[in-house]
Order: sequence, then structure tokens, then C-alpha cells
Amino acid sequence: MTEKKYLETHEWYSVNDNEITVGISDFAQSELGDIVFVTLPTVDESFSKGEGMVEIEATKTVAEVYAPMDITITEVNNKLDSEPELINGDPCGEGWIVKGSIKDLDDIGMSYQEYESFIS
Amino acid sequence: MSKLLTTQLYKYHVEQKSKLIEFAGWDMPFSYDGTLKEHNYVRNNCGFFDVSHMGRLALDIGQIQNISKLICSDILNLDNSKALYTIFTNENGKALDDVIFWKFEDKLILICNASNREKISNHLINNNIEFEDQTFDTCLIAVQGPNTVNHLKDLLDLPKHFSAVDNGEYICARTGYTGEDGFEIMFNNSKVDEILNYIVRKEIKPCGLGSRDTLRLEASLPLYGFELTEEISPVEANLKWVITNEDDYLGKEIIHNELNSSNHKTLKKFVIDSKKIARTGTKVKSNNINGVVTSGNYSPKLEKSIGFALFDSSPESDLIEFDIRGNFIEGNIINKRFLN
Repeated sequence: MTEKKYLETHEWYSVNDNEITVGISDFAQSELGDIVFVTLPTVDESFSKGEGMVEIEATKTVAEVYAPMDITITEVNNKLDSEPELINGDPCGEGWIVKGSIKDLDDIGMSYQEYESFIS
Repeated sequence: MSKLLTTQLYKYHVEQKSKLIEFAGWDMPFSYDGTLKEHNYVRNNCGFFDVSHMGRLALDIGQIQNISKLICSDILNLDNSKALYTIFTNENGKALDDVIFWKFEDKLILICNASNREKISNHLINNNIEFEDQTFDTCLIAVQGPNTVNHLKDLLDLPKHFSAVDNGEYICARTGYTGEDGFEIMFNNSKVDEILNYIVRKEIKPCGLGSRDTLRLEASLPLYGFELTEEISPVEANLKWVITNEDDYLGKEIIHNELNSSNHKTLKKFVIDSKKIARTGTKVKSNNINGVVTSGNYSPKLEKSIGFALFDSSPESDLIEFDIRGNFIEGNIINKRFLN
């Protein structure tokens, strides 16, 4: 698996062969506050790069998770239905959100160091 | 941007690594351990809020007749050592601010919203009412939750519900803004360390504005700027129980006409069963009656999305439809309180 890359819209993704895993950054979960609802897409749903895939409702505000590249959903983290707080507790691990097959690899995310300087 | 005001507890907020936000010109804690945790400290045990940003105006009791001309509740017949929730109205019967008065033999203490302190101060001056603004000389903390009495009983003599005591060192009232038993304690700035040490020793958890908002919403309580504004009257905000002033006061005629009519806006509580929060400004409809959400958030106790919406007139159906970012989401008006 490749190291995590970050987007300006605060998603992280990692790529393993043709599969991508997507979540939101620790900075993003901290800005959102307590996450109370996550509306997940369905398996086999396709998204174009930049399209909203997931809606996260938090006590402070609402946020969308955008597709980092053109993908088709292969798996969603169903645990988030009953434990949306997993994103707050472990955004880059247990709080992953969706997995998908990559239709068109477009690996232009920032490294962690680049993302850190982007948010600071 | 001008420098933000800070309370006497600011150093403590920073040491506790709270998330600070600008609120009505003050740098205030939004959360410490997280809004949901803090919400539950208050629902299940006890938590404290620094509410020193709220205005504290002291008036000689001789001003009470003049105050009575500006508010919609009966303060003249209120017993001494009692607290009163009321609304300053304007000549159109709309809300200038919702406030608490503490009435004592010799004085009134007026607690107003931070965002309205200047407005209310000017309103008093314009009506030739003398007062002393004690906001910057004193602190105000709110300690709330079912175990609050156990935690505070060693500190001071606690008043009964909707009462207030002044022992010379502290003024303490028991009104609450969370739906739980709770006390508001006002004290001179010189006592801040003493009080903080007591709170830390009792392990009372600090809570921020985030949980204050989810708690008050769940307790079905309005927030000025949202459910009450200079465009919304106490009748429209469904606060008819507050209108008890038989005296003449600003906007009385309009308010009394509204009381006897259904031809006015009306605030309703709602619940949504799907995983959507209808936030402030969201459009809502009940058949052909339009409305707008004034506040909406997640209720940790009900584990549901709840809120208030202001409708153009009283909806005939409790079934409502929100337009949340282009999606039509169903909800229901509820006429009882969110929490029993």
C-alpha cells in the first residue's frame, strides 16, 4: 500500500494495486467537532473526481467527502452507521470511510509534510 | 479586527487546551473534551460553564417601576430573592433581548446576553434608568447537572429553584439553561482563584459553548439571535407564559393583539428521523406554510436530529419537509418538549 496522500479538501487516500481507501484527516475531524451521522454511498456506486460521496454531520457543522479520483465503491465502513465517532477517534485507521476500485489513477495528493504546511 | 475581550478564567481555558472561538466580541471556549462528552457531563453528573461574557447590570430597586415599562413580565409583584426570565420588547412588540433578573430587597441584577449588553445599556440610558455595569468587575459561572447540589453544598448556601441569594461574597441563583438543576454564581474578580480551586478540587468538568448550545436546544430553550430577534415577538417565539405584565410596557398592545390572533409567525419544535441535521437558515414547509429553521442540531439524549423552525403562520399539519442542500427531507413538528 502506498503512503497516505492528502487533498486540499482534507481527505486522505491510500492506493493498493487498483484499490483506493479514503478517509478524512485528523485536522478535518478536529475542525468538525463530534461526528454524529455519516451518510455512506452504496457499493457499486461510481463517482467522478471531486464529486461528493459521503456526508458527515457533526455538532458544529456538516462536511462532504469528495472522490479523490474517478472510482467505483467496493466497500463502505458500515461500522460508521452505529459508531460515527470512530472518525473522531481514529480518522486515519478504524475511521476509514470508503474503499473503491480506481477507474483512472490520478495520484496528485500532497504528502503528509506538504499537507501539514498547507493547513498551518 | 479589534482585540477580543477575555474573561478572568481565560488563563484556565488556555491551560485546559480548550478550543477557543470568537463569540459576541469575546474569546470563549467552544469545547474542552468535546461537545458530546461535555453534554453528557451535564446530563448525567455536573459541569461548569464560564458565562462571564454575559452582561451583568446592577440597578437600585427604585428603578423597578421604570424597568416594568420595558419588559413583558410582571416584576413588580415578584418576591424578593426570586429570579425572573423575561424579555425586553421594543415598540413593535419584538424582542430586544431575553434576560434574567435577580430581585433583592435593595437591588436588581440584570443578566443580559453578551451580544446585547451595549444595546440594553443604551436602552436603559434612553429610558433614564440608572445602572452600574458590573460585567468587567465580576465573574459569572453556571454549574449545571443532577449532581450539582452535592458538588456545591460546601461552597455556599444554595437557593431554591428560581430563587437567588446574596451573601455579600457571592450572588447565587438557581435558574439553569440546560434543562438540569443548576446554579449561576456571580462573584468579584478577586475571588476567581478561590472558586476555580474549589471547582477543580470537586472535579467538576469544564464545558464550552458547543455543549451549552446542544443542551439548551435539547431542553427546548430559545437562544437570542436565533429564536428571538428584533423581528420576532415573544408570542411568535411561543413564549406566551412569559407575558405576565399587566402594566403598560413597550409594544404591549401589539403583543396582546397577537395573543388573541393566529395571524402571526409561530415557532415550532421539530424532529427528523433520517441522518440529516437541518441547520439555521434551512427552508421548511408544512403543506403551503413556509418556514425557516432557527436552530438545529443533534440531540445526544434522543439520538436524533432536532430543532426549532419559525413558520409564517401556524401549520395545520405536523408533517414537514426540509430542503437540505437540495434534498427534500421529512420531519415532524412536536408539541411537547424534546425531553420529558
